[in-house]
Amino acid sequence: MKVHTKKFLLWICIGIVVAAAGIFFIVNSRKEDEKYRVIFIPKVIDEDNDFWKLLIEGAEMAAAEYHIDLTIVAAETEDDYEEQNALIEWAIDQKPDAILLTPSSFTETTLYAKKVTEKGIPLILVDSEVDEDIADTVIATDNEKLGEVEGSYMKKCATEDSQIAIIGHVEGSSTAIEREKGVRKGLGEYEDRIVDVVFCDSDYDKAYRLMMELIEKYPEIDLVAGLNEYSAVGAARAIKEKGLHDRIRVVGIDSSLEEIQFLEEGIFEIIVIQNPFKMGYLGIEAAVEILNGGKVEKHIDSGCELISNDSVYTEENQKLLFPFREE
Amino acid sequence: MAGNRNRFTVLSLFKSVRATMLCLFALLIVVTMLIFLLISVDYTKKTVLENSTDYTSRLVRQVNRDIDSYIDYMENISSMIIQGGDVQKYLFRDMPKLDEQEAYSRIVTQFNTVVETRQDISNIAVVTPRRDYIINDGTDTLNENVDLQEVEWYKEALEGEGRILTSSHVQHVIRNNYKWVVTLSKGIKNPKTGENEAVFFIDLNYKLLKDLCENNSLATNSYVFIMDGSGKIIYHPKQQLLYNGLTRERTEEVLGFDHDGYFIAEGSGTDDGKLYTVSVSEKTGWRVVGVADISELMKNKKETESLYMLTAAILLCVAMLLAIFFATAITRPIKELKESMEEVEKGNFENTDVTVGPGSEIDSLGNSFNLMTARIRQLMVQNTYEQEEKRKSELKALRSQINPHFLYNTLDSIIWMAEGGKNKEVVRMTSALARLLRQSISNDNERIPLQKEVDYAGSYLTIQKMRYKDKLEYEIEVDEDIKKEEIINLILQPLVENAIYHGIKYKGSKGLIKIVGYGEDDKIILKVIDNGIGMDEAALKGIFDKSRESEGKNGVGVHNVQTRICLYYGAEYGLCFESVLGQGTTATITIPRNFRE
Repeated sequence: MKVHTKKFLLWICIGIVVAAAGIFFIVNSRKEDEKYRVIFIPKVIDEDNDFWKLLIEGAEMAAAEYHIDLTIVAAETEDDYEEQNALIEWAIDQKPDAILLTPSSFTETTLYAKKVTEKGIPLILVDSEVDEDIADTVIATDNEKLGEVEGSYMKKCATEDSQIAIIGHVEGSSTAIEREKGVRKGLGEYEDRIVDVVFCDSDYDKAYRLMMELIEKYPEIDLVAGLNEYSAVGAARAIKEKGLHDRIRVVGIDSSLEEIQFLEEGIFEIIVIQNPFKMGYLGIEAAVEILNGGKVEKHIDSGCELISNDSVYTEENQKLLFPFREE
Repeated sequence: MAGNRNRFTVLSLFKSVRATMLCLFALLIVVTMLIFLLISVDYTKKTVLENSTDYTSRLVRQVNRDIDSYIDYMENISSMIIQGGDVQKYLFRDMPKLDEQEAYSRIVTQFNTVVETRQDISNIAVVTPRRDYIINDGTDTLNENVDLQEVEWYKEALEGEGRILTSSHVQHVIRNNYKWVVTLSKGIKNPKTGENEAVFFIDLNYKLLKDLCENNSLATNSYVFIMDGSGKIIYHPKQQLLYNGLTRERTEEVLGFDHDGYFIAEGSGTDDGKLYTVSVSEKTGWRVVGVADISELMKNKKETESLYMLTAAILLCVAMLLAIFFATAITRPIKELKESMEEVEKGNFENTDVTVGPGSEIDSLGNSFNLMTARIRQLMVQNTYEQEEKRKSELKALRSQINPHFLYNTLDSIIWMAEGGKNKEVVRMTSALARLLRQSISNDNERIPLQKEVDYAGSYLTIQKMRYKDKLEYEIEVDEDIKKEEIINLILQPLVENAIYHGIKYKGSKGLIKIVGYGEDDKIILKVIDNGIGMDEAALKGIFDKSRESEGKNGVGVHNVQTRICLYYGAEYGLCFESVLGQGTTATITIPRNFRE
């Protein structure tokens, strides 16, 4: 009897210890994990540009959703790759858990992007790429496809005698290169009707000036493709001012209030929009996935949508064109 | 088990009753505990879920009522403006420019006040199909690129009666606006024609709806969203994500509810799923949906469960201890009983009484056992007594026999001697016979001093010597120190008789019988030695036969003596014969000295 009692007392003790350990473990595991620190370097932080605004909003919303400590820094202008490179170096010094980057230059950013991966920091490229395959994943609109959608529409409007102009944004940037390629592909047999390709350096005024020059240079011009918001809006402004929108069809990429209004007015035939919000969101989501040890695809396409001037206010297009903001 | 005739019983499972009881107790306790645990955990879960559902239902209903009264309020504003008359005056009546101007400024002031004071109203406007309008403070303009006929809510309000409430949409009727709003619109009748000739509308932004949805004290990680009757989201905390397809909402399931209710959306993996509580507004057809993480609602459940587990574990231990205690307590009497029985099996009837607490079966078993052993003890005592009595009566019977032949022969010899005139011999023989007789009848006592026994044998020998004249001679040599020892009577004389009739009688010459007695250690040795014909082996062996005794004429036989000594003193004592054929026989009696019965 005595021996048994002792044995059972022992068992009770073991039971209590195990239970206590279990409770302790449960309580402990509820402690919030350390937040991941992520730095996002877009090309620019521009409150007036819906694209960048939405991209950043998407990233911020994902950061809130996944409890990420997100820092966003950017250069003053979109094409200032030197400043961006400096920011990349600064970001590496901060030793973040991951870096999201929208490279300003297809070639000049590569070296610095490499430094990120060399430090073992996961690198997620958003929207644009560099000329080497170094990133863990690239979340971008399939720019070639984007251009192709635009080009395909142009093909329908084009004739044997068309004169087509392309207004690009930044010469040498991956998006410009790929979109142009896509437009050419979409145009198909009318590719040879392209009379000029110019670059506005993502500047409304320069795009406007370039369009004016094109109108003078090619009086017969009847199809203009803008490869981003700046180039498209600049071109549209010029055409509206000249009152040539009945003769010159303009197609654009990306959306902004102005672009939508041009679309409503019928200056734009169509615009092809990307989903920058989704891009930013998916960028952070991919970072979380990588940090949690998951696998992500090398390329994630955030999609694009063609919106014609008579379908702006359909239920689905509203959702894509106008970001829902509570205020 | 075929052919095994042992019946299977619970008790055959284990070696001891105690082990069996313990194991069965343990089984019983564990099973009971498990069932209890399962039921209580399940019940807790149910109760918690019920309470949560109840609570969220009430909250969501409250939000729904708030939204209804909010919409009511907006309707009141619109009614107030429509019925104020200024709008009609301005839009439909041909009035002097001055009056028109006055009405216009009154409306604008009114609109302006509303927009300024109500942060939740984005726009307030009246618009006619002819594109006459007043919007907000009068500075906003209509979007010239919009065909009002293609704006659905506008058309519906214009053509229908009552207010039209849209789902969330982008307000593009007003230039440069493009805000996500919910529009409440109503046709305005031209009093002259009785037809709707203008539309009044209020655009509600999400300030208040958001507040209403967020001002609930559901659990953390929970939220409230609003959906209209066609499954379109009106307000959702993750509206932008939903619109971009980055997250999903279970609108289909919610749409299935015509009345207030709830459902549980199963989660995947570690997610416990979510509790959707739906409240349907009769007024707007909107569905207010509260969504809460089950795991969040159940956060107490785990703690409760571990508490249950802990309690169960402790109770189990306590119960096991008690089980051990009780099993031991219950089986102890059985064990004692068993030990006692083993003692009894060995033949030990002393100190075998079992004491058990009163009342139980084992108690009566113990009592029965005690009774039984007592009875056996009593029987044994009785048996011993009866044996003793029997032996005593036997002894008595054996002792009382005096050989009638001997008596007759002796008397015959006396007659012959008397006839022969041998007075002296007659006196001697008669007095010897008288002594013999007196001794045999006066001795009621079983035990007599050795002296007397020797005298008795002496009297007998005297008579026999006179009868056999010169054929018999005898000697008695008994040590003085043993003469006072008490021994059972009639043991010497039968041996003497035996020596005469089987030894001396057939001897041709004079025979000698010698009685020798002496003490040896704590024994008394008595010897009857004759020098008669002796006995061969066979005769020696048959000497104790009863049959021989019956043949013989001498009443108390050798066998009788042997039996009596054994009966009286025990088996280790008795007679012993040594004989050499033709030389004589020695009969030896060994009995204890100072024997106490």
